Amino acid sequence: MDMQASAGGIDVQSEAVLWQLNKGSRAVIIGFDGAMPVEYSSRLSEMGFHIGETVTCLLRPGFGCPRVYRVSNTVYSLDEDLAAFIRVIVDG
Amino acid sequence: MLIGSPNCGKTLLFNRLTGLRHKVANFPGITVEMASGPMPDLPGVTLVDYPGSYSLQPLSRDEIVAVDEFKRGLRDPDVSHVICVIDVTRMEKSLYLTLQVIRLARRSGKRVLVAANMIDVLESHSIDLDFEGLSRELDAPVIPVSARTGSGIERLLETLREPLDEGTRLEPAGDIEVRADLLVQQAAHGLARRYGPNSDVLVRSQHRLDAFFLHTWFGGLAFFAIMFLLFQSIFTGAAPAMDAVETGIAAMAGWVVPLLPDGIAADFTSDALFSGVGAFLVFVPQIFVLTLVVGLLEDSGYMARAALICHRPLRFFGLTGKSFIPMLSGVACAIPGVYAARSIDSPKKRRLTYMAVPLMPCSARLPVYALLIAAFIPSTTAAFGFVGLQGLAMFLIYFLGLVLGLVVAGLAARRDRDPTPDVPFVLEMPPYRMPGLVPLLRQSLHRSGDFVTRAGGVILGVTVVVWVLGYFPNGGTDLQSSWLAIIGRTIEPVFAPLGLDWRYGVAILTSFLAREVFVGTLGTIFGIELADADMVPLIERIHNSGLEAASGFALLVFFSMALMCVSTLAVLARETGSWKLPLKMFLVYGAAGYLGAVAVYQVLSLDVFGV
Repeated sequence: MDMQASAGGIDVQSEAVLWQLNKGSRAVIIGFDGAMPVEYSSRLSEMGFHIGETVTCLLRPGFGCPRVYRVSNTVYSLDEDLAAFIRVIVDG
Repeated sequence: MLIGSPNCGKTLLFNRLTGLRHKVANFPGITVEMASGPMPDLPGVTLVDYPGSYSLQPLSRDEIVAVDEFKRGLRDPDVSHVICVIDVTRMEKSLYLTLQVIRLARRSGKRVLVAANMIDVLESHSIDLDFEGLSRELDAPVIPVSARTGSGIERLLETLREPLDEGTRLEPAGDIEVRADLLVQQAAHGLARRYGPNSDVLVRSQHRLDAFFLHTWFGGLAFFAIMFLLFQSIFTGAAPAMDAVETGIAAMAGWVVPLLPDGIAADFTSDALFSGVGAFLVFVPQIFVLTLVVGLLEDSGYMARAALICHRPLRFFGLTGKSFIPMLSGVACAIPGVYAARSIDSPKKRRLTYMAVPLMPCSARLPVYALLIAAFIPSTTAAFGFVGLQGLAMFLIYFLGLVLGLVVAGLAARRDRDPTPDVPFVLEMPPYRMPGLVPLLRQSLHRSGDFVTRAGGVILGVTVVVWVLGYFPNGGTDLQSSWLAIIGRTIEPVFAPLGLDWRYGVAILTSFLAREVFVGTLGTIFGIELADADMVPLIERIHNSGLEAASGFALLVFFSMALMCVSTLAVLARETGSWKLPLKMFLVYGAAGYLGAVAVYQVLSLDVFGV
C-alpha cells in the first residue's frame, strides 16, 4: 500500500483498526473483523458505521477510556473491545 | 403508535400530544417502558409510546420490549397510524429504523407519518431542509415539528385527522419478519446525505464542550466537582426552604392544636401529625433540590459524558459506563434506577447493576442521613467558607453508598464463571442542550410531589399505629409503660450493640416498610414522650435523647447498606423474573448493614476516638 503522508503516527492510506486512529484523523471503514459477532457489526452498521463511511476520531481521552468518533452528524463513544474490530483505511 | 430511535425526542412529543408528564432526559435509553395516553385534541384516540430502538433487530432488553410490542401493535386492528419520530439533526441513525417501520407498517395496513423532530435546533442555526422531497422519497407525510417548542404540532394533528384512504387498509400481515437489510442501510445513508443537514455546525459546538468535559485531566476533575456540588447543594440550596417548612409547621401547630379540646384529639394532632408527619415534610425541599440537580445533569447531555468517564473504573468492578446512568438515577430513587438498567445490553452487567443500584443513597435515605448529619455534624464551614461540613459529610456518605455498590458488583463479577463473551460498550453522545428552567422545575416538583404522595401514605399509616401503641394504655402520660415500650424492649437487645435504646429500635423496625418512616416514627415517639406545647425540631430532640455520636454514625452505616424498601424488592423480582436475587440481596445487605453498624459503634466507642 502506498504511504502518501502521515496522520499523527499512522500513515495515510494505510490499513488500521478504528481504535488506532489519532485525534482528528479520518478513516474510511473497509470491514469488520471476522471475530466480531454479526449482531454487533449489524448494530454498528445501523448506527452509521457501515462499509464506505468516513469516521473521524474526535477525542482520545486518557486512561484507556472509550474514544469518541463522529459518523455523519452523530457522535458515539466506542470501547477498545469494539473499535479494535473495525477495519479502516486512514484518510487524513 | 409512536416509535423512533433512542434520544430522538419521542417521549417529549408523546407528552406534548397527550398532555402527560412522562420522564424525558437528554441521553439515549431513558424510556424503557411502554406508555399510553389519550390525545385531548383527537377524542377517542390513544397514543402509545415505545422505548427507542436503532432498528427492528433488537439487542438490549428495552429494545426487545419495544420491537415485540410494536409488532403486536401492528397486528391490532384498532391501530390505525404509526408515527415514526426522526431526529432531523442526526438523520441517518433515524432513517434506517424509519424505512424498516414504513415497510412493515404498510404490509400491516397501517398509515405512517414521519414526525421530523428538533426543527427548532435547525432553525437556530438557519438550516433549511427539503422535507417535501424526503416525503416524496419515503412516500409518507414528513411533518417538521419541535416537541420542545410545540412548533408543527397542529399540522401533525391535522394530518392525523385526515380520513384514511380505503386503499391503505390492507389485510394485516400474519407473520411479521424483519431481517437486516443492506439495501435499507444504503437507502437510509443516501436519503440522509440528500436531505439531512450537511453543515457540521451542530457537531462543532458539541465538540468544543467535549474537549473540556472529556479531557484526560480536566474531564475527571470536572466530574468530581459536579458530583461534589450536587451533594453540597442538597444542604446549602435546600436550607432556606427547610427552615421555612419547619417554621410553617410549627406555626400551624401553634395555631391548630390550641383550637382542639385537651385530650386525645389534641395529643394525636400534635404528636402524630405535626411531630410525626411534619418531621418528614421538613426534608422534602432536599428531595426537590436533589431531583432538580439530577434533572439538570440529565437534560444537559452531561450524563453520557459521565458514563464515558466512568466506563473504565466501572469495568474494573465488572460494570460498564452505562451502569452509571441507572446508578445516578438510583440516587433519586432505586426503582427508576432498576428500570434504567434495561438499556444495558449485557445481561451480566445488567445483573451486576441491579445489585449495585439499591446501595445508591436514594431519596428515602436522604431524610435519615440529613437528620443524623444535622444532629452530629456542626453546621460550620471550612476552606474559607467554600465547603460546608454537613455538605461534605453528605458527600462522603453518598460516596460510601457508591463504594459499597462497586464492591458488591466487583465481588459478584469475580465469582461469575459464565464463559459467554460480553457485549462491548458503544454509547451515543447526545448534543449538549441548555435545560429549560420551567420544564425542569415542573419535573422536579412532579417527582418530589410523587415521592411525598407515595411515602406520605405509608408514613401516615405507620405514624398512626406507632402513636396508638405509644399513647395507650395510659393516655400518653408515660411512654415508658406504653404498649410500644413493651414491644420496643423486647427487640432492644438486638439494637443494644449499636448503643441504641428501644425507641430507635422501634423506628428501625418500622423503617423496613420504607426507610423514611424512621423519621416520622421518631417524631411521633418524641412527640408523645415530651408532650410539650411548643414544636421542638426533631434534631434537638435527638440531641436531648442522649444518643451518642457513635450510635449516630452506626445508624448511618446501617441505613447505607440495608435494603429496606419493599417496592424496590418487588421491582427487582419483576425485572429478574424471580424472587431469588432480591431475597438474597435483602438478607445479605441487611446482615452486612447490621454487622457494619455494630463494628462502627464498637470502634468509635473506644476511648481513643473520644466520640
